[in-house]
Amino acid sequence: MEKSLADALVIMGKAIGAGLAMGIGAIGPGIGEGNIGAHAMDAMARQPEMVGTITTRMLIADAVAESTGIYSLLIAFLILLTL
Amino acid sequence: MKKKISWFLVVFLIIYTVLGIINALYFVPKDTAEVTRGLANRWIIQLSDEKAWYTRINPLTIIMSWTIIIGLIVFAVRVGKNFKVIPDRRQSFAESIMDFMYEVVESVIDDPKFVRPTFAIATTLFLYISISNIIGGAMPGLNVNVVDEHVKFTLFQDTWFSPTADLNTNLTYALMVFVISHAFAIKAKGFGGWLKSWLEPMPIMLPMNIIGELAKPISHSLRLFGNIGGGAILTFILTYLVKYLFMPVFYWAYFGIFVGLVQALVFSMLAVAYISEKIS
Repeated sequence: MEKSLADALVIMGKAIGAGLAMGIGAIGPGIGEGNIGAHAMDAMARQPEMVGTITTRMLIADAVAESTGIYSLLIAFLILLTL
Repeated sequence: MKKKISWFLVVFLIIYTVLGIINALYFVPKDTAEVTRGLANRWIIQLSDEKAWYTRINPLTIIMSWTIIIGLIVFAVRVGKNFKVIPDRRQSFAESIMDFMYEVVESVIDDPKFVRPTFAIATTLFLYISISNIIGGAMPGLNVNVVDEHVKFTLFQDTWFSPTADLNTNLTYALMVFVISHAFAIKAKGFGGWLKSWLEPMPIMLPMNIIGELAKPISHSLRLFGNIGGGAILTFILTYLVKYLFMPVFYWAYFGIFVGLVQALVFSMLAVAYISEKIS
Protein backbone atom coordinates (compact mmCIF):
# COMPACT_ATOMS: atom_id res chain seq x y z
CA MET A 1 0.00 0.00 0.00
CA GLU A 2 1.41 3.34 -0.99
CA LYS A 3 1.45 5.99 1.67
CA SER A 4 1.32 9.65 0.91
CA LEU A 5 2.98 12.44 2.82
CA ALA A 6 -0.32 13.39 4.44
CA ASP A 7 -0.75 9.93 5.97
CA ALA A 8 2.78 10.04 7.32
CA LEU A 9 2.13 13.47 8.82
CA VAL A 10 -1.08 12.20 10.47
CA ILE A 11 0.74 9.25 12.01
CA MET A 12 3.55 11.53 13.19
CA GLY A 13 1.04 13.91 14.76
CA LYS A 14 -0.71 11.05 16.54
CA ALA A 15 2.53 9.69 17.95
CA ILE A 16 3.78 13.08 19.10
CA GLY A 17 0.42 13.97 20.62
CA ALA A 18 0.07 10.70 22.51
CA GLY A 19 3.63 10.92 23.77
CA LEU A 20 3.19 14.50 24.96
CA ALA A 21 -0.13 13.70 26.63
CA MET A 22 1.30 10.75 28.53
CA GLY A 23 4.62 12.39 29.41
CA ILE A 24 3.27 15.71 30.66
CA GLY A 25 0.32 14.04 32.34
CA ALA A 26 2.62 11.80 34.37
CA ILE A 27 4.43 14.72 36.03
CA GLY A 28 1.66 15.84 38.38
CA PRO A 29 0.65 12.42 39.75
CA GLY A 30 4.34 11.61 40.24
CA ILE A 31 4.88 14.67 42.42
CA GLY A 32 1.62 14.11 44.30
CA GLU A 33 2.23 10.43 45.02
CA GLY A 34 5.80 11.19 46.07
CA ASN A 35 4.48 13.71 48.59
CA ILE A 36 1.90 11.26 49.90
CA GLY A 37 4.48 8.47 50.23
CA ALA A 38 7.00 10.72 51.97
CA HIS A 39 4.50 11.95 54.54
CA ALA A 40 3.16 8.44 55.10
CA MET A 41 6.71 7.21 55.79
CA ASP A 42 7.16 10.12 58.19
CA ALA A 43 3.95 9.26 60.02
CA MET A 44 4.84 5.55 60.18
CA ALA A 45 8.27 6.35 61.66
CA ARG A 46 6.66 8.52 64.33
CA GLN A 47 3.88 6.07 65.19
CA PRO A 48 4.76 2.47 64.26
CA GLU A 49 1.57 1.13 65.87
CA MET A 50 -0.57 2.91 63.21
CA VAL A 51 1.08 1.19 60.21
CA GLY A 52 -2.05 -0.68 59.05
CA THR A 53 -4.37 2.33 59.06
CA ILE A 54 -1.77 4.61 57.47
CA THR A 55 -1.05 2.10 54.68
CA THR A 56 -4.75 1.78 53.79
CA ARG A 57 -5.29 5.53 53.71
CA MET A 58 -2.04 6.04 51.79
CA LEU A 59 -3.24 3.64 49.08
CA ILE A 60 -6.59 5.41 48.83
CA ALA A 61 -4.92 8.83 48.61
CA ASP A 62 -2.52 7.47 45.98
CA ALA A 63 -5.42 6.22 43.89
CA VAL A 64 -7.11 9.61 44.09
CA ALA A 65 -3.88 11.46 43.26
CA GLU A 66 -3.17 9.39 40.18
CA SER A 67 -6.55 10.09 38.56
CA THR A 68 -5.18 12.91 36.37
CA GLY A 69 -2.49 10.54 35.13
CA ILE A 70 -5.21 8.03 34.31
CA TYR A 71 -7.10 10.69 32.37
CA SER A 72 -4.01 11.42 30.27
CA LEU A 73 -3.54 7.68 29.68
CA LEU A 74 -7.12 7.53 28.40
CA ILE A 75 -6.49 10.50 26.10
CA ALA A 76 -3.32 8.85 24.77
CA PHE A 77 -5.23 5.63 24.04
CA LEU A 78 -8.00 7.60 22.35
CA ILE A 79 -5.51 9.42 20.15
CA LEU A 80 -3.61 6.26 19.22
CA LEU A 81 -6.39 3.72 18.79
CA THR A 82 -9.66 5.38 17.87
CA LEU A 83 -8.86 8.72 16.25
CA MET B 1 -6.55 -28.34 53.01
CA LYS B 2 -3.12 -27.25 51.79
CA LYS B 3 -2.80 -30.31 49.57
CA LYS B 4 -6.10 -29.48 47.93
CA ILE B 5 -4.97 -25.93 47.14
CA SER B 6 -1.65 -27.07 45.69
CA TRP B 7 -3.43 -29.65 43.51
CA PHE B 8 -5.79 -26.95 42.34
CA LEU B 9 -2.84 -24.71 41.45
CA VAL B 10 -1.07 -27.48 39.52
CA VAL B 11 -4.21 -28.33 37.52
CA PHE B 12 -4.79 -24.63 36.86
CA LEU B 13 -1.22 -24.14 35.58
CA ILE B 14 -1.43 -27.20 33.32
CA ILE B 15 -4.73 -26.03 31.79
CA TYR B 16 -3.33 -22.53 31.42
CA THR B 17 -0.17 -23.70 29.64
CA VAL B 18 -2.09 -26.04 27.30
CA LEU B 19 -4.51 -23.26 26.37
CA GLY B 20 -1.59 -20.88 25.85
CA ILE B 21 0.16 -23.32 23.49
CA ILE B 22 -3.06 -23.90 21.54
CA ASN B 23 -3.51 -20.15 21.31
CA ALA B 24 0.08 -19.59 20.20
CA LEU B 25 -0.19 -22.28 17.50
CA TYR B 26 -3.58 -21.50 15.99
CA PHE B 27 -4.67 -17.95 16.81
CA VAL B 28 -1.63 -15.88 15.87
CA PRO B 29 -2.73 -12.90 13.76
CA LYS B 30 -1.38 -12.85 10.25
CA ASP B 31 -0.65 -9.14 10.37
CA THR B 32 0.62 -7.47 13.52
CA ALA B 33 -1.20 -4.25 12.60
CA GLU B 34 -4.43 -6.21 13.05
CA VAL B 35 -3.78 -6.33 16.78
CA THR B 36 -4.33 -2.66 17.50
CA ARG B 37 -6.78 -1.82 14.71
CA GLY B 38 -10.02 -0.62 16.24
CA LEU B 39 -8.99 -1.91 19.66
CA ALA B 40 -11.32 0.40 21.55
CA ASN B 41 -14.30 -0.81 19.49
CA ARG B 42 -13.31 -4.46 19.54
CA TRP B 43 -16.24 -5.78 21.55
CA ILE B 44 -18.90 -3.35 20.38
CA ILE B 45 -21.61 -4.61 18.04
CA GLN B 46 -23.54 -2.36 15.67
CA LEU B 47 -27.13 -3.59 15.56
CA SER B 48 -28.30 -1.65 12.51
CA ASP B 49 -26.98 0.78 9.94
CA GLU B 50 -28.22 3.78 11.85
CA LYS B 51 -25.36 5.23 13.89
CA ALA B 52 -26.87 6.17 17.21
CA TRP B 53 -26.12 5.41 20.83
CA TYR B 54 -28.98 2.92 21.18
CA THR B 55 -27.90 0.73 18.27
CA ARG B 56 -24.44 0.01 19.65
CA ILE B 57 -24.27 -2.58 22.41
CA ASN B 58 -21.48 -4.45 24.10
CA PRO B 59 -22.73 -8.02 24.63
CA LEU B 60 -19.80 -9.01 26.82
CA THR B 61 -20.70 -6.39 29.41
CA ILE B 62 -24.19 -7.83 29.72
CA ILE B 63 -23.00 -11.45 29.82
CA MET B 64 -20.29 -10.82 32.42
CA SER B 65 -22.52 -8.57 34.58
CA TRP B 66 -25.20 -11.24 34.83
CA THR B 67 -22.59 -13.93 35.51
CA ILE B 68 -21.23 -11.92 38.43
CA ILE B 69 -24.68 -11.05 39.77
CA ILE B 70 -25.83 -14.69 39.68
CA GLY B 71 -22.57 -15.82 41.30
CA LEU B 72 -22.96 -13.30 44.12
CA ILE B 73 -26.60 -14.30 44.71
CA VAL B 74 -25.69 -18.01 44.81
CA PHE B 75 -22.86 -17.30 47.27
CA ALA B 76 -25.10 -15.17 49.49
CA VAL B 77 -27.87 -17.78 49.53
CA ARG B 78 -25.46 -20.59 50.35
CA VAL B 79 -23.88 -18.62 53.20
CA GLY B 80 -27.19 -17.34 54.51
CA LYS B 81 -28.95 -20.71 54.56
CA ASN B 82 -26.61 -22.44 57.00
CA PHE B 83 -25.61 -19.61 59.28
CA LYS B 84 -23.83 -21.00 62.33
CA VAL B 85 -22.32 -19.71 65.58
CA ILE B 86 -19.03 -21.42 64.74
CA PRO B 87 -18.35 -20.16 61.22
CA ASP B 88 -16.96 -22.31 58.45
CA ARG B 89 -14.57 -20.95 55.85
CA ARG B 90 -17.14 -19.35 53.58
CA GLN B 91 -19.04 -17.69 56.39
CA SER B 92 -15.91 -16.30 58.05
CA PHE B 93 -14.78 -14.87 54.73
CA ALA B 94 -18.10 -13.08 54.29
CA GLU B 95 -18.08 -11.94 57.91
CA SER B 96 -14.57 -10.50 57.70
CA ILE B 97 -15.46 -8.40 54.63
CA MET B 98 -18.66 -7.13 56.27
CA ASP B 99 -16.83 -6.38 59.52
CA PHE B 100 -14.12 -4.38 57.76
CA MET B 101 -16.62 -2.35 55.74
CA TYR B 102 -18.89 -1.76 58.75
CA GLU B 103 -16.05 -0.38 60.85
CA VAL B 104 -14.97 1.99 58.09
CA VAL B 105 -18.53 3.22 57.45
CA GLU B 106 -19.22 3.63 61.17
CA SER B 107 -16.13 5.79 61.61
CA VAL B 108 -17.03 8.08 58.67
CA ILE B 109 -20.83 8.53 59.03
CA ASP B 110 -21.81 10.71 62.00
CA ASP B 111 -25.56 10.06 62.05
CA PRO B 112 -26.24 6.52 63.42
CA LYS B 113 -29.55 6.38 61.50
CA PHE B 114 -27.72 6.32 58.14
CA VAL B 115 -24.97 3.84 59.01
CA ARG B 116 -26.78 0.67 57.92
CA PRO B 117 -28.10 1.90 54.53
CA THR B 118 -24.72 3.39 53.65
CA PHE B 119 -23.03 0.15 54.72
CA ALA B 120 -25.32 -1.86 52.44
CA ILE B 121 -24.61 0.41 49.47
CA ALA B 122 -20.84 0.52 50.02
CA THR B 123 -20.50 -3.25 50.55
CA THR B 124 -22.57 -4.07 47.49
CA LEU B 125 -20.46 -1.76 45.35
CA PHE B 126 -17.24 -3.17 46.80
CA LEU B 127 -18.18 -6.82 46.26
CA TYR B 128 -19.43 -6.36 42.71
CA ILE B 129 -16.57 -4.13 41.54
CA SER B 130 -13.80 -6.16 43.16
CA ILE B 131 -15.06 -9.43 41.68
CA SER B 132 -15.50 -7.93 38.23
CA ASN B 133 -12.02 -6.36 38.39
CA ILE B 134 -10.38 -9.61 39.46
CA ILE B 135 -11.94 -11.82 36.80
CA GLY B 136 -11.41 -9.18 34.14
CA GLY B 137 -7.69 -9.71 34.07
CA ALA B 138 -5.69 -11.65 31.55
CA MET B 139 -7.21 -15.09 31.43
CA PRO B 140 -7.95 -16.47 27.97
CA GLY B 141 -11.64 -15.91 27.78
CA LEU B 142 -14.59 -15.22 25.61
CA ASN B 143 -14.61 -13.13 22.44
CA VAL B 144 -17.54 -11.71 20.52
CA ASN B 145 -17.12 -10.48 16.96
CA VAL B 146 -19.30 -9.74 14.00
CA VAL B 147 -18.35 -11.77 10.93
CA ASP B 148 -20.47 -11.25 7.80
CA GLU B 149 -23.43 -9.86 9.77
CA HIS B 150 -23.45 -12.83 12.14
CA VAL B 151 -22.46 -12.70 15.76
CA LYS B 152 -19.60 -15.11 16.33
CA PHE B 153 -18.54 -16.33 19.75
CA THR B 154 -14.98 -17.56 20.13
CA LEU B 155 -13.75 -19.22 23.29
CA PHE B 156 -10.24 -18.81 24.70
CA GLN B 157 -9.10 -16.12 22.30
CA ASP B 158 -9.26 -12.74 23.99
CA THR B 159 -9.10 -11.81 27.64
CA TRP B 160 -12.13 -12.00 29.89
CA PHE B 161 -13.93 -8.71 29.61
CA SER B 162 -14.46 -6.91 32.88
CA PRO B 163 -17.82 -5.09 33.14
CA THR B 164 -16.05 -2.19 34.85
CA ALA B 165 -13.89 -1.66 31.75
CA ASP B 166 -17.06 -0.33 30.13
CA LEU B 167 -17.96 3.27 30.96
CA ASN B 168 -21.69 2.44 31.05
CA THR B 169 -21.35 0.33 34.18
CA ASN B 170 -19.21 2.84 36.04
CA LEU B 171 -21.33 5.83 35.08
CA THR B 172 -24.46 3.99 36.22
CA TYR B 173 -22.98 3.32 39.65
CA ALA B 174 -21.59 6.85 40.00
CA LEU B 175 -24.98 8.35 39.11
CA MET B 176 -26.68 5.98 41.56
CA VAL B 177 -24.35 7.17 44.32
CA PHE B 178 -25.07 10.79 43.30
CA VAL B 179 -28.85 10.29 43.49
CA ILE B 180 -28.64 8.30 46.73
CA SER B 181 -26.50 10.95 48.44
CA HIS B 182 -29.01 13.67 47.55
CA ALA B 183 -31.95 11.51 48.65
CA PHE B 184 -30.22 10.94 52.00
CA ALA B 185 -29.56 14.69 52.25
CA ILE B 186 -33.28 15.41 51.74
CA LYS B 187 -34.15 12.77 54.34
CA ALA B 188 -31.63 14.11 56.86
CA LYS B 189 -32.18 17.87 56.52
CA GLY B 190 -35.65 18.12 55.04
CA PHE B 191 -36.41 19.61 51.64
CA GLY B 192 -35.86 23.22 52.73
CA GLY B 193 -32.55 22.43 54.33
CA TRP B 194 -31.44 20.60 51.20
CA LEU B 195 -32.35 23.59 49.01
CA LYS B 196 -30.56 25.88 51.43
CA SER B 197 -27.40 23.76 51.28
CA TRP B 198 -26.91 24.82 47.65
CA LEU B 199 -26.54 28.44 48.75
CA GLU B 200 -23.81 27.81 51.30
CA PRO B 201 -21.61 29.52 52.38
CA MET B 202 -23.22 32.45 50.53
CA PRO B 203 -25.77 32.74 47.68
CA ILE B 204 -23.17 33.85 45.12
CA MET B 205 -21.56 30.40 45.32
CA LEU B 206 -24.55 28.64 43.69
CA PRO B 207 -22.94 28.04 40.25
CA MET B 208 -19.78 26.74 41.91
CA ASN B 209 -21.85 24.32 44.00
CA ILE B 210 -23.72 23.06 40.93
CA ILE B 211 -20.50 22.52 38.97
CA GLY B 212 -18.88 20.79 41.94
CA GLU B 213 -21.83 18.43 42.32
CA LEU B 214 -21.88 17.59 38.60
CA ALA B 215 -18.13 16.96 38.56
CA LYS B 216 -18.44 14.31 41.27
CA PRO B 217 -20.05 11.45 39.27
CA ILE B 218 -17.90 12.23 36.23
CA SER B 219 -14.58 11.98 38.06
CA HIS B 220 -15.91 9.09 40.15
CA SER B 221 -16.73 6.99 37.08
CA LEU B 222 -13.79 8.05 34.88
CA ARG B 223 -11.28 7.06 37.56
CA LEU B 224 -12.46 3.46 37.71
CA PHE B 225 -12.93 3.27 33.93
CA GLY B 226 -9.45 4.62 33.24
CA ASN B 227 -7.76 2.26 35.64
CA ILE B 228 -9.52 -0.92 34.56
CA GLY B 229 -9.95 -0.14 30.87
CA GLY B 230 -6.41 1.18 30.56
CA GLY B 231 -5.06 -1.87 32.36
CA ALA B 232 -7.03 -4.18 30.09
CA ILE B 233 -5.80 -2.45 26.93
CA LEU B 234 -2.19 -2.41 28.21
CA THR B 235 -2.33 -6.12 29.06
CA PHE B 236 -3.94 -6.87 25.72
CA ILE B 237 -1.27 -5.05 23.69
CA LEU B 238 1.72 -6.16 25.74
CA THR B 239 0.80 -9.84 25.76
CA TYR B 240 -0.40 -10.26 22.21
CA LEU B 241 3.02 -11.26 20.95
CA VAL B 242 3.47 -14.15 23.38
CA LYS B 243 -0.26 -15.02 23.20
CA TYR B 244 -1.04 -15.78 26.83
CA LEU B 245 1.89 -18.08 27.47
CA PHE B 246 3.61 -16.73 30.59
CA MET B 247 3.42 -12.98 31.00
CA PRO B 248 -0.35 -12.58 31.56
CA VAL B 249 -0.09 -14.11 35.02
CA PHE B 250 2.11 -11.25 36.21
CA TYR B 251 0.07 -8.56 34.45
CA TRP B 252 -3.05 -10.10 35.94
CA ALA B 253 -1.48 -10.06 39.41
CA TYR B 254 -0.78 -6.34 39.08
CA PHE B 255 -3.68 -4.95 37.04
CA GLY B 256 -6.31 -7.43 38.16
CA ILE B 257 -5.67 -8.15 41.80
CA PHE B 258 -3.68 -5.19 43.18
CA VAL B 259 -5.07 -2.29 41.14
CA GLY B 260 -8.51 -3.89 40.95
CA LEU B 261 -8.91 -4.33 44.70
CA VAL B 262 -7.50 -0.87 45.48
CA GLN B 263 -9.83 0.77 42.95
CA ALA B 264 -12.86 -1.14 44.26
CA LEU B 265 -11.99 0.03 47.78
CA VAL B 266 -11.49 3.60 46.53
CA PHE B 267 -14.81 3.59 44.67
CA SER B 268 -16.79 2.46 47.70
CA MET B 269 -14.85 4.74 50.07
CA LEU B 270 -15.55 7.73 47.84
CA ALA B 271 -19.23 6.76 47.77
CA VAL B 272 -19.26 6.73 51.59
CA ALA B 273 -17.41 10.05 51.69
CA TYR B 274 -19.85 11.73 49.28
CA ILE B 275 -22.84 10.48 51.27
CA SER B 276 -21.37 11.57 54.60
CA GLU B 277 -20.51 15.00 53.17
CA LYS B 278 -24.10 15.45 52.01
CA ILE B 279 -25.85 14.39 55.22
CA SER B 280 -23.62 16.21 57.72
